[in-house]
Amino acid sequence: MEYQEYQLRETAAKLLEEEKANVVIGYGLSKTGKVVPVFITRPEDAQKLVWNSECHQNLVVFLTRPEVKRLGKPAIVVKPCDARAIVVLANESQIMRHEVYVIGMVCEGVNEDQGRPSSRCAICYGHYPQNVDQVIGEAEDAPKDLSKEERRKTGKYQRIEEIKALPPDERLAYWKREFSRCVRCYACRQSCPLCYCNRCVADKNRPARIPTSASLQGNFAWNILRAFHLAGRCVSCGACSAACPAGIDLNLINLTLANAAEEQFDHLSGTKVGALPLIGTFSESDKEDFIR
Amino acid sequence: MSRIISLDDLRQIAADFIRAGGLAVAPVPFDNDRVFFQYIDEEGAGKIVLSGWLKAANTIKDFFFPRHEKLFSYERIHNDVVLADAPEFGKPQLLFGCRPCEAASLPILDKVFGWDYQDRFYQSRRRMTTVVTVACHKSDDDCFCSSVGGSPENTEGSDAILYNLADGTFEVRPVTERGEQLFEGKTSESTKTGKACPPPPVRFDASKCKTWMDGHFDSPFWNEHALRCVGCGACTYLCPTCHCFDIVDEGSYAKGNRVKNWDFCQSALFTLHASGHNPRPDQGARQRQRLMHKFSIYPDKFGKILCTGCGNCTRHCPTVLGVKPFLEAIEEQED
Repeated sequence: MEYQEYQLRETAAKLLEEEKANVVIGYGLSKTGKVVPVFITRPEDAQKLVWNSECHQNLVVFLTRPEVKRLGKPAIVVKPCDARAIVVLANESQIMRHEVYVIGMVCEGVNEDQGRPSSRCAICYGHYPQNVDQVIGEAEDAPKDLSKEERRKTGKYQRIEEIKALPPDERLAYWKREFSRCVRCYACRQSCPLCYCNRCVADKNRPARIPTSASLQGNFAWNILRAFHLAGRCVSCGACSAACPAGIDLNLINLTLANAAEEQFDHLSGTKVGALPLIGTFSESDKEDFIR
Repeated sequence: MSRIISLDDLRQIAADFIRAGGLAVAPVPFDNDRVFFQYIDEEGAGKIVLSGWLKAANTIKDFFFPRHEKLFSYERIHNDVVLADAPEFGKPQLLFGCRPCEAASLPILDKVFGWDYQDRFYQSRRRMTTVVTVACHKSDDDCFCSSVGGSPENTEGSDAILYNLADGTFEVRPVTERGEQLFEGKTSESTKTGKACPPPPVRFDASKCKTWMDGHFDSPFWNEHALRCVGCGACTYLCPTCHCFDIVDEGSYAKGNRVKNWDFCQSALFTLHASGHNPRPDQGARQRQRLMHKFSIYPDKFGKILCTGCGNCTRHCPTVLGVKPFLEAIEEQED
C-alpha cells in the first residue's frame, strides 16, 4: 500500500507537470488525520495524496460538479468499484471519457469510520480496476475476486434474503423504522456519482412531484423513487450508505435492484463500456411477453 | 455536599413524567451502534442510555423545531375555503440527556423565533419543555465548544445538569426553578461531586475569523475550500442551531395542509430565483453564507455566535468539512 501511495504521487505530479491533467482528484488528509477528498493542481502538492484503507469515499461524484469542472481537465483516483461509476457516466454521456484520466488503484478493501469495514466491500465485484487509464498496484496483491455464487453468500446478500423472507407487514415495519430516521438531507443523493440530475425530481416544486416533507410518506416516496431511478445503474459503491448521517443502509435497496438486473438480464452496471441503459432499452429476448 | 441520583431513578423520573401525561425525549440506542433522541414510552424509559456515547445521530432541535410540521389545513367546500389552524403543542415535555452544546442552542433559537415574528409553534414547545443536560465526559477531534464561548459543563439552555459519577449514579445540579422541581425529593445527599472533561483546545479565534470573513466576501478562498463539499444538508440538519425552513402546500386542490419543512442553504435550489438567476451560484458562496450567518450576520444582530461548537457539521459530513475545518483554514489566511 505504501508503494502504491508512492507511485500514485509520482503519477499525479507527472500528469500535472506534463499538463495531461489540470487537477488530480484524490485522497488527502484533514487536519485531524481523516481521509478527505483533495484537489491537487500543482505538481509539488502531489505529496499530499494518500492511499490507505480509509479511502472509502467515491470521488467520481466530483467529476460532474461545476466547481470542480472549472478547474480544467481532471485526473481521478478510483477504486475498482468507483471505476464502474465512470463507465456509467460515460455510457450516459455525462462525461467524455477521453477527457478524464482515470488512475485505478488495486484495492484490498477499505474501512469506513471507526475502522468498520465498508459495506461496499462486503459485495466486492473485483479488486482489480477495469476500464481505467492506468493501474497502480500489482494484480497478484489483490485478493481473489468472488464469483457470483460466492458473492450471494456474503452477509450483505444474506441480509437482503432475510428481509425479503419477512412477511409483508414485517418488511414494511422494518423499512418504516429505517425511513423514520431520514431527515431528507439528501447526503445519499449528493454523494452518489450517478445522481447527477441538475434538478432532482425531489426538488421539483412547480408542482411538487413527491412530498418534500420528512414525514413517513415523504421519506418512503423519496427513498423508493431514488432506488428505482438507480435500478440497473447503481454500481453498488455504497457511497449512499456511508454518507447517511442516520445510518440507514440504503445500499440494501439498491443492491436488491442490482441483483434483479443481474439475475434477470445479466446486466452488471458499469462493467461494460458502451452498454445501453437497462431501463430504456429492450430486446426480443426479454422475459416479459408484453415487449414482443 | 452534593445531590446524587441513580440511573434507575432517573429513568423512573422519565417514566413518571410520561405516566402523568407528559412526553419524554431521551437518547436510546438503535440497532446499529448509534444513539438517537426519540420520544419514548414508559417501557422505553428503561432503555435510556446516558453514558458510552459522545453525540447522538440526531439533534434535539427536532423536538422544538420539527423537521416537518403542519401549520394549518385547508379544504374547499363549495366556493369557500375553510382553514383550520394546527393545534398548539399542549403537553409538558421532558428532554433528557442532551449535551451542553445542544442545550446551548435553545437560547440562540429563542432569539430567532421570538424576534419580530413570534413563532407560536417553536415557542409553545419551548415553554412546555424541561431540559436536563449531561456534562461531557470526553470530547473528540470535531468538538470546539471552547472556541465559541461554551464548555463541557455549560448550563445555558438547561434546567438541570447531571454529572456522571461512573458508579451508576449522577450528581444533579439544578439550574432553574423548573429543574429544581423535577428533582425535588428524588435525590440523596452525598460527598461525591462530579467533574466534566477538560474543554477541547481552542481551535480558532472566532472574532478574528469574523473580521477576515467580513473583509473577504469575494475571496477565491471560499470556492477553493468548498471544493470537497457535495452540497447536501447533513451539516445543517444535524446542526442544533441551523433553523432555515421552507413552507409548502401538500395535498390537492380540494384539500391539504400547509407545512413547514427544514431547508438547507447548501442546496443550489435554496436561493434559486424564479427567473433562473441564482445569487449564490456556487458551493463557495453557499458555504460562505452558512459560515457568515453563524459568525458575522447573526452576531451583528443578536450579539451571540450562531454556533455552539458541537462539531456535528464535521462529524456527519460525508467529506469531513463543516465549521471547524473551515474556520481553522480562515485563521491560517495571511491577509
